[in-house]
Amino acid sequence: MTSFKLGLMAGTAALAVLGSSALAQEVTGGNTDTTQAMSSNLRAVSQARLDGADTEKTDWLQVNGGYSQKRYFPSSQINSSNVHQLKTSFIFQTAVLESMETAPLVVDGVMYITTSYNHIHAIDAVSGKEFWHYKHAMGPVTVYCCGPNNRGVAALDGKVFMATLDAKLVALDAKTGGKIWETQIADPELGYSETMAPVAVDGKILIGTNGGEYGIRGFVKAYDANSGKLAWTFHTIPERGHEGVWATHDSTGRDMHRNIAAEKKMLSKRGGDFYQTLGGGVWMSPAVDQDTDTVFFVVGNPSPDLYGDIRPGDNLYTNSMVAIDLNTGSYKWHHQYIAHDVWDLDAVSPVILTEAKDKSGKMRKVAIHGGKTGHVYVHDRATGELVRFSDAMVPQDDMWVLPTAEGTRMLPGANGGVEWSPMAVNEDLGLAYAANLHQPMTYHVEAAEYPGGDKLWLGGAFKVIPGEASWGRLSAVDINSGKIAWEADTDQPLMGGVLATAGNLVFTGEGNGSFNAYDATTGAKLWSFQAGAGVNAPAVSYMVNGKQYIAVAAGGNNQLNFKRGNNVIVFELP
Amino acid sequence: MNFKKLLVVLLCLPLTVLADAEDGREKAQICAACHGIDGNSISPQYPNLSGQTARYIYLQLKDFKRSRRNDPLMSPMAANLSKQDMNDLADWYASQTYNGQNSKKIDADLGKGKKLADAALCTMCHAGGFTGQNEIPRLAGQHYEYLIKQLKDFKVKHRTNDAGNMTAVVRTIPDEDLEDIAAYISSQQ
Repeated sequence: MTSFKLGLMAGTAALAVLGSSALAQEVTGGNTDTTQAMSSNLRAVSQARLDGADTEKTDWLQVNGGYSQKRYFPSSQINSSNVHQLKTSFIFQTAVLESMETAPLVVDGVMYITTSYNHIHAIDAVSGKEFWHYKHAMGPVTVYCCGPNNRGVAALDGKVFMATLDAKLVALDAKTGGKIWETQIADPELGYSETMAPVAVDGKILIGTNGGEYGIRGFVKAYDANSGKLAWTFHTIPERGHEGVWATHDSTGRDMHRNIAAEKKMLSKRGGDFYQTLGGGVWMSPAVDQDTDTVFFVVGNPSPDLYGDIRPGDNLYTNSMVAIDLNTGSYKWHHQYIAHDVWDLDAVSPVILTEAKDKSGKMRKVAIHGGKTGHVYVHDRATGELVRFSDAMVPQDDMWVLPTAEGTRMLPGANGGVEWSPMAVNEDLGLAYAANLHQPMTYHVEAAEYPGGDKLWLGGAFKVIPGEASWGRLSAVDINSGKIAWEADTDQPLMGGVLATAGNLVFTGEGNGSFNAYDATTGAKLWSFQAGAGVNAPAVSYMVNGKQYIAVAAGGNNQLNFKRGNNVIVFELP
Repeated sequence: MNFKKLLVVLLCLPLTVLADAEDGREKAQICAACHGIDGNSISPQYPNLSGQTARYIYLQLKDFKRSRRNDPLMSPMAANLSKQDMNDLADWYASQTYNGQNSKKIDADLGKGKKLADAALCTMCHAGGFTGQNEIPRLAGQHYEYLIKQLKDFKVKHRTNDAGNMTAVVRTIPDEDLEDIAAYISSQQ
């Protein structure tokens, strides 16, 4: 009887940790934990290490490599001559069989993997053996669009940081997985949730928010890495002035067919208080320029997505690249791609900091973004000036025909172009690599007032057109000219992101389970591996004991309903 | 059943059952005539609630109570429920297991229904396998009659508590296609 009582108590505690909402999706039928003592090689990730992460030759210290987010690994051990020999080192199976958009970190041979529903596994990056497994105690209410994803952790000074579906930020001991602090970022009952990886810099943890489909007011916040105390908040929707300049054309000069007179009339009638529900989520990790203490990110769609009548004006800073001060969170500049968006063709894919020639041939420090529109946008880092935009990577048609109740066809479809998928840059070649979708859609508008934060609020719908083929395209864009250097088409729309390496290689995955390596210069497909579930996560690379590895999650995707899995697969040369 | 087996069973129960099972079960007595005590309805016009997401049930009860959703049977049932009642009921039904019994349409084109459902991007919100998530309802295992009524109600705006999302999706879909979609969804378990 005693043992039963003890067992029940332990079971209750375990369930409290697990949270009821996660239960249905857990892999059941066995204990997935193989806990062993943490590797003695693991050292804290100091700020000095993060400062050098962009050129780091051994570890993968941030989800997108370093603060510039180039996703470029400088080893050429695995290269275009030998990649055909690549074989699996090990397969790690996580505890959660659901959509994986995560990029692992690798620190001193220890890999940190996140899953849907906010689990973290710390494993040996060579053997795949598990050190610890953290399960977030999910709150009773979660509200999120596009799947229960998580895109990874940040590491700093012996801690790892994860943001959660119930809109919390947690700090864990990197060695043990024990929780050090936890803070509530925003109210999940009002549509706030977290799927992005935080960024750790100068004692701060930077985090955005999801919720543009629920009528939130978006932000980027900075928390003290040691205490979890809020340092500053930048609201992506200003309280005053969100109507902007009443832009009639998008960044590329296309007429957006706005009825400015009607919008102005509506603004005077309703007032501007709708800033509180105007959306503007920040879905992906910001880039940081440490020379100028500037944080760069893109802001997502206005709420509601497709019904614009009740949110007159440009809806700043939705669908924009924004630069703010790292120390204070104060505004520096913005560039809006699409004012008053009614197509959900917003800005999601993370900003990359690199250099590119301007029109006079002079090299400039730039911030680039791959848009759902199908263009790569190149901005001056100091001013936001649009230096150029690339040729269209995917078919465009009838931009910007307005949505109707019956639906109007326009290309690209609402998923892009480039969705959240991070691009990669090879600076030696001057190329940015973008994972694109081609999904012909019709756009439908439906009048809808704010439903209170607890319901999806799209103000319409977008639908795939039966009979029109969908496919994917990996595009290499010359950022010095805006021309397409090469493109490689895939059977299914691409979502997951890109890794580039000094081995003249580019890696990306497909929803059908193919994980592919391409020649970075020519686009020739050099190697492919069948992962058994959708490879819809960005790959990473690292070295342990002088040997290079490639790692990628194969968990499928909720948004495109690709086959689910729970694997992280690691590759090496024989 | 030995202790070990009992412990396994207990570990498989969601925490909410341990917290609210008795309250929710007690309060669900009055719902049982239509929805079944365990949420497995035997009348195809009344929805299966077993395994439904707690958040969806709670919000629907709240919408019935404040007349954002209207039904001659449900509206009076929800009128006097407290927030605690609604949460207890939601947790109770969410903790119950679908028994594999639901009404289906036998003369439908399921292949066509799947294609139409894919084009409408149903699973982008309702999740893979139509298992639902949070405030988006589980549809797998739902009765065909209930599903088609909801789709048609959204289409003609008899049901409007969806912030317009479902109306926008189904407005342009002919009724016969909606029937194939509902038939396909009701075939999902």
